[in-house]
Amino acid sequence: MHLALMGAALLFACPLAWMVLSSLKSGTEIAANPTGAWPESWQWENYADAVTVIPYGTYLRNSLVLCVGCVSGTLLSCSMVAYGFARLKWRGRKLMFGILISTMLLPWQATMIPRFLLLKEVGLYDSLAALIVPTFLGDAFYIFLLRQFFLTIPEELSEAARLDGCGEWGIFARIMLPLAKPALATVALFQFVASWNDFQGPLLYLNDPYRFPLAYGLERFVSSYSSETHLLLAAASLFTLPIVVLFFFTQRTFMRGISAGGLKG
Amino acid sequence: MDDTYGLGSFSLMPSLRHRLTPLWFISPWLLGFGLLVVYPFVASLVWSFCRYDMLSPPEYVWLENYARLADELVSGGRFGQAMWNTGYFVLISVPLSIGFGVGLAVMLSWRIRGQAIYRTLFFLPSVVPVAAASVLWMWLLDPQAGIVNAVLGVAGVDGPGWFNSVSEAAWLPAWFRGIGGFGSKDALTLMSVWGVGNFMIIYLAALGEVPRSLYEAAELDGAGPWRRFRHVTLPMLSPVIFFNLVMGVIGGVQAFTQVYIVSEGQGAPAGSSMMLSLYLFLSAFKDLEMGYASAIAWVLFLIVLASTAALFRSAKHWVHYGGASP
Repeated sequence: MHLALMGAALLFACPLAWMVLSSLKSGTEIAANPTGAWPESWQWENYADAVTVIPYGTYLRNSLVLCVGCVSGTLLSCSMVAYGFARLKWRGRKLMFGILISTMLLPWQATMIPRFLLLKEVGLYDSLAALIVPTFLGDAFYIFLLRQFFLTIPEELSEAARLDGCGEWGIFARIMLPLAKPALATVALFQFVASWNDFQGPLLYLNDPYRFPLAYGLERFVSSYSSETHLLLAAASLFTLPIVVLFFFTQRTFMRGISAGGLKG
Repeated sequence: MDDTYGLGSFSLMPSLRHRLTPLWFISPWLLGFGLLVVYPFVASLVWSFCRYDMLSPPEYVWLENYARLADELVSGGRFGQAMWNTGYFVLISVPLSIGFGVGLAVMLSWRIRGQAIYRTLFFLPSVVPVAAASVLWMWLLDPQAGIVNAVLGVAGVDGPGWFNSVSEAAWLPAWFRGIGGFGSKDALTLMSVWGVGNFMIIYLAALGEVPRSLYEAAELDGAGPWRRFRHVTLPMLSPVIFFNLVMGVIGGVQAFTQVYIVSEGQGAPAGSSMMLSLYLFLSAFKDLEMGYASAIAWVLFLIVLASTAALFRSAKHWVHYGGASP
């Protein structure tokens, strides 16, 4: 039993380990001995080379702008909307929530073309804003996730605040948001990873290489330097590493979010 | 503002404001729903009946785009190829992912030392960005320079062409040709199985909620490990399997990033990795045929709708909700 588990774990971990180990080999060593695992000589300069060959700093800055912008947009819009669906009573709420849920099943390609032309029309083409602005308009999945969390907060808390003369916005900002920190952290984390990894958005909306985030920049690098395997792997490692580190520090938030989204979905 | 007539804005306004509060709260989504969902959805339906190159205004051609799709489907043109490839990829990768997801979760639920480490190792690939994973697997599976074929070579096996091959491993003749029958879509399937960690975590959480008493009762009835798995574990997991199935099919039909990267943005080799989403993208943004691409988008939407509906209909026959009765 233990053996099967170890074998499977090895198979899953191997590709990543190989990526990092080979990114520290020289190009000739990779070509000469593709099955060897441990580098004969550690070529740390591969990383320095990769960072100079691709404008890594520029791409990284763009990725961070994109991530911070999208996380802010998502947190702000989704928490507001989720509060509206979870804690306020209004006519048509159930119907609207059903519509919201059903939009999760809508493939992004079904709306891709007019959406592209609309954002282009308002002057957002070739700007990171084309990817950030839509997050200020809510996302069905995150709204759903936050709503589920708001529903678990006892109504008595809001009632007490209302009796003290606190308005809905006050209850939302001063009571609900602080209590919802774990759920907000999950949403922020998911959105950060999604923006960091996003490839089709930049492919669609960005044209100027100085605006590319890492995910897209890396692919452009692959198509122009496909023979320089060692640099390619170093670049891929540099792109993957931040997410892996982030994951190690936030494992519990990550896993909780995944099982909450899945089980209640 | 100034209450000259004493109409009691104090009594009227607060109640109106009170009623409008929910609207303000959900306003970001309402705006997004209107501008980024309803409008594009309707516009792409209208444009699917048009010829539209973005330079001149759309011009109605009615069913021409759909007729072209039907023609390419029947004659095995690019659209036919995209439909076939998408179907092949979804029908093979989704069941495999479910199998591996359940299998790994069950193995992890055994009480074993170092469980947390194993869980992390299985989960890690699913946080690797798709763009990086695609680059990595293109290298691992390179027929000449890649590790996988080098390892197979050491074992005395001629490795397959993977991303450079049009083969489809699901066919019997491919198995007769040995392991060499794995082609580009099978390599994409391998990649998607590698990233199964996400669903594995959901299965693991669901396994933790199966009451122990069910297993004990089954054991008292003399059920062995396989029958306990078949009659207790599987039914208890069925809601999650259903969720995985729906999300897997929807995600598989829409798969884009990895397809775009490994096929050099053109479905290479020989269109064997041309999928619906890629064909749609190329028609729209390379050929600038927005009308035709909109028709593809609607076909893609209808496929997702039909398969989701079919899955939901089938659910009542095999999905057990609210679990205490297996």
